[in-house]
Amino acid sequence: MAQANVATEREAFVQHHFVNAEQQFDTAKLGMWIFLVTEILFFGGLFCSYVVFRTWYPHTFMEASSHLDKLLGGADTVDLICSSVTMALAIHYIQKGNERMTMIMLGITFLFGAAFIGSHAYEWLDEMSHGIYPGKAYAFKGISGSHAYVFFSLYYLMTGLHGIHVLIGMGLMAWLMVKTKRGRFSAKYYTPIEITGLYWHFVDLIWIFLLPLLYLVD
Amino acid sequence: MSEQHHHIVPIKMILTVGAILVFLTILTVFIGYLHLPNPYNVIAGIGIAVIKASLVVMFFMNLYWERRRFNIMVFLAGIVFLTVFVGITLLDTLHRAHITPGF
Repeated sequence: MAQANVATEREAFVQHHFVNAEQQFDTAKLGMWIFLVTEILFFGGLFCSYVVFRTWYPHTFMEASSHLDKLLGGADTVDLICSSVTMALAIHYIQKGNERMTMIMLGITFLFGAAFIGSHAYEWLDEMSHGIYPGKAYAFKGISGSHAYVFFSLYYLMTGLHGIHVLIGMGLMAWLMVKTKRGRFSAKYYTPIEITGLYWHFVDLIWIFLLPLLYLVD
Repeated sequence: MSEQHHHIVPIKMILTVGAILVFLTILTVFIGYLHLPNPYNVIAGIGIAVIKASLVVMFFMNLYWERRRFNIMVFLAGIVFLTVFVGITLLDTLHRAHITPGF
């Protein structure tokens, strides 16, 4: 193992503390997976509250849930699935070295994210126009069961925390597009796109569970 | 050693998985409109969500082709943590004579 020999083989993007590009890639991915586990537990606190309060007030939860628009929830889900598809395609194209298509796919992913946020803003405003506010501000009289505000507080918290994740994801898409435009990525080095993809699919994953829990339980 | 052997997922595969996910979403919303009696609606909703989540984790997050099994273990450990979290909390909250706090 002549040191000079190793040094000349190194690609410019490989940082000095990694053995080679492959180890750097695997390390970044493992780091992202560990972060996603902390995210599971971050959302887990809200999922846990949901389960506890649902077992305490099952009828209120069912009645309150029927107030939410199932079709809108389903449309949001399809939107996020499409964004996951375009994200996967972005990774496919950068692996093939096609930067132009990568840019386009990242852009479409960003737009799907924006559509999701827009749809949610519309839904929240619609709920609020009925007096459905989180916590003590709750003023909706249309649900006969007690503690309906607990359901809607959880609804705002869960969709809100998820929405913040979508916004962060959109920021990451914009950042990736800038870097792709500057030619920083290639078939050999695309680690940021890969791990942002993991994050984006994870956000989709959370929504897949929010759909039945919030919209379909009645 | 430094050559890359990353699995490139074919476009056809990505679109097929996407189409299945959209189909399952339509199915779960449709089942939602059927208003099944209480335990079954939750079982159907969560069951379909678990299938969809598995598809996303395996084929979009690439755990199906993962050379490093360690990433799969990390993910499953997260699920175990969540199960412990919710399960042990329920051991308490399901068996209370009076719901506290009183809100």
